[in-house]
Amino acid sequence: MREDLRASLGKRVGKLRALPSSPAVLNPLLELLHRPVEQIDLKKVVELVSYDKTIAAQCLRIANSPLYGRARETESIQSAVVSLGIQRVEDILLTCCLHQLGAGKEWATDPEVYWRHSLGCATVCREFAERIDFRDPEKAYLAGLLHDLGILVNSLMFTQEYREVVRKAKERGVPLAEQEAGDLGFTHAESGRILGEAWKLPPAVIEVIAFHHDLTGNDNRNPLVALVHIADLMCRYRGLGYGYEEWRTVELTADPAWQELCKHCPRLLTMDVARFTLDLDAYLPKVQEVVDMVFSSKLEHAESRSSR
Amino acid sequence: MPVEGQTATLTAGFSRERDGAQDPVYLRIRDLVYQTCGIYHSDEKLYLLVAACKRRMEGESAKAHTGKEYLDLLSSAAYKESELRGLLNEITIGETCLFRSMPQLNALKNAILPEMAKERAKIGLKKLKVWSAGCSTGEEPYTLAMFLLEEKEGMLKGWTFEVHATDLNDRSIETAKAGIYGDYALRNTPENYKRKYFTPAESGKLKVKDEVKARINFSRLNLNDDTRMLFMKGMDLIFCCNVLIYFDMTSKKRVVQHFFSNLLANGYFFLGHAESLYQVNDQFRLVHLPGTTVYRKPGADTPAGGKS
Repeated sequence: MREDLRASLGKRVGKLRALPSSPAVLNPLLELLHRPVEQIDLKKVVELVSYDKTIAAQCLRIANSPLYGRARETESIQSAVVSLGIQRVEDILLTCCLHQLGAGKEWATDPEVYWRHSLGCATVCREFAERIDFRDPEKAYLAGLLHDLGILVNSLMFTQEYREVVRKAKERGVPLAEQEAGDLGFTHAESGRILGEAWKLPPAVIEVIAFHHDLTGNDNRNPLVALVHIADLMCRYRGLGYGYEEWRTVELTADPAWQELCKHCPRLLTMDVARFTLDLDAYLPKVQEVVDMVFSSKLEHAESRSSR
Repeated sequence: MPVEGQTATLTAGFSRERDGAQDPVYLRIRDLVYQTCGIYHSDEKLYLLVAACKRRMEGESAKAHTGKEYLDLLSSAAYKESELRGLLNEITIGETCLFRSMPQLNALKNAILPEMAKERAKIGLKKLKVWSAGCSTGEEPYTLAMFLLEEKEGMLKGWTFEVHATDLNDRSIETAKAGIYGDYALRNTPENYKRKYFTPAESGKLKVKDEVKARINFSRLNLNDDTRMLFMKGMDLIFCCNVLIYFDMTSKKRVVQHFFSNLLANGYFFLGHAESLYQVNDQFRLVHLPGTTVYRKPGADTPAGGKS
C-alpha cells in the first residue's frame, strides 16, 4: 500500500466511532487453536460451544451437514466434539461466531454471498492444504474464513459507497480489489488488516488478510498467504466467488503464489489441477447447505438474545 | 483437561467419505476410467458413471450383473478394450447437442475473444481459424459458426473466420453436412439463434441456413493420420470434446502433440467438461475461467503471471 493511501485510509477509519467488536468467544477460541492438539481441553471446547445458544444450535446443525462428513447423527455438543474431532468443532464454532458479527446490520453486499465465499474458501483451503501436505492445515481453515474480513468492514462501514463499488465491479466483471483500489483508494485487504489488528488476530492471519491479493508485501514469506491466494482464486472461478463472474483468464501454475507454495509443498509440482478443480464442484452444494443453515436460524438468534 | 487416549479419534474424526453411499467398486471404476481415458467423474457427477455402468449390465447379453463383476470385466485382458469402448459410448450418449457447453461459449465471448481481438488489433490481423476435431454429426461446428457470426456483428466486426470440422466417420460427416436437427439436439439452442440461423424442415425439425454452412469446411480426417495432421496448421482455437477418451495413452499423446503444433501461440485448446491433459501433455498450460478450464499454448513472451 502506498503511504498516501495508508494515510487516507487511516484518516477515514479514524473518523469511525467503533470498529465491529470481535465475538466474545473468538479470542479464547483462537487461543485454543494455538495449542498442540494433545493439550486441548475437551471440556473447555464444550463450554465455549455452549456459551451462546444460537451458536450451539448452529453448531449441531452444521456438524450434521455433509460438509463435515455427517458421520452419524449428533445430538449433544459433547458427542459432536468427540465424533467430529476438536479441530472441526472449532472450525464450525468460528464460522458461527463470525456470522454473528454482521447479523441484523445493513450490508452493502449480499451477506449470504459473503459467507458462502468465506466458508467456501475456508473449506477449500483445508482440503487443498491436506492434499498438498501443507504443514499447518488447521490454520488454513481459519485463514480462509477470515481472509476477506475487509469486505465486511467496507460493507458495514462505507455502506453507500461500497454498494456502488460492488455494482461496478460486477458490471465490468473485474476483481473486487481492483474496483476498490480505483474508487475508494484502498482495498478490503487494507481495511481488513486494520480490523484484524484491532482484534489482535494471530499475525499469520493478519498477513493473509493484508496480502492475499498482492503478495509483494508478504515479507515474512508466510506460506499461508500463498495458499489462501490460490484457494481464493479457485473459489472465485468455480461458483464460490463474489456473486458474479470475473472474466479473466487465470493460469494458476504461473502465479507467483503457486511457485512460492511449491517451495513448501513439493507435492504441488505433480498435482492434477484439472481434477482438483472438478472435485471442488462437489463443494458447492455442501457449502450452500451450511450457509442456508446459518441463515435459517434467525429465529433462534432472537430467542437466545431475549433469554439472556 | 487433556483427554488422554481420545486424541487419535478426535483428530481422525473427520470422515473423508462424503456421502456414505459411495460404493468403493464405483470409485475404482472411476479411477480406471480416468487413468485409461482421461475423463473424470467428480463426486457429484459419479451417479452418471454409475448409471452408465448399470446400462451396460442390463439385458441378457450383459457379461456382468453387479458392480464387482463389472469391475472385473473392465480389468480382464480379454474384454477390457471392447467393454471400455461400450462404457464410453454410454457415458457420452446424448451429450451431443448444439450449445452443449455454455461455460465454454461464455468464456470465449467474455474473455478469450476480447483478449485475442486486443492482441490482433496491434498487428491488424482480423482473422480467426477454428477447428472442431471429432465433430460427429455437426452440432459443435454449427454452434461455433453461429456464435462467431453473432460476434461478427459486435466484437469481431470486420473479421473473417473459418471453421474446419473433421471426423473419422463418413456417415457422421454426411449427417453433419445436411444440418437437420430435432428438438433433442436443439434443446439448449437459444430462441433467437433458432429464428435467425435455421429454416423449418420436415417433421418439425430445423435446418441450418446456408449462410452458416458456408462458414464450415467439413472433411473426413483420422486424427491418427500423422501426415494429414501436419496440414491443419495455423489454428486459433481447437475443440476436441469427448474424442480423446477413446484413444490409448500413446496415441493420445501423439494426437495432442499435433494439436499443440497446429495451434498458433496463445491459441486455445478445448476439451470436454470432465477431460484433462494430466500426464498427456505438459506443454499446454491449464487456464481457469469462470465455470470452465481450457488449455493455452504459451506464446514466446508469456508473462509469468501477475496480481489478481
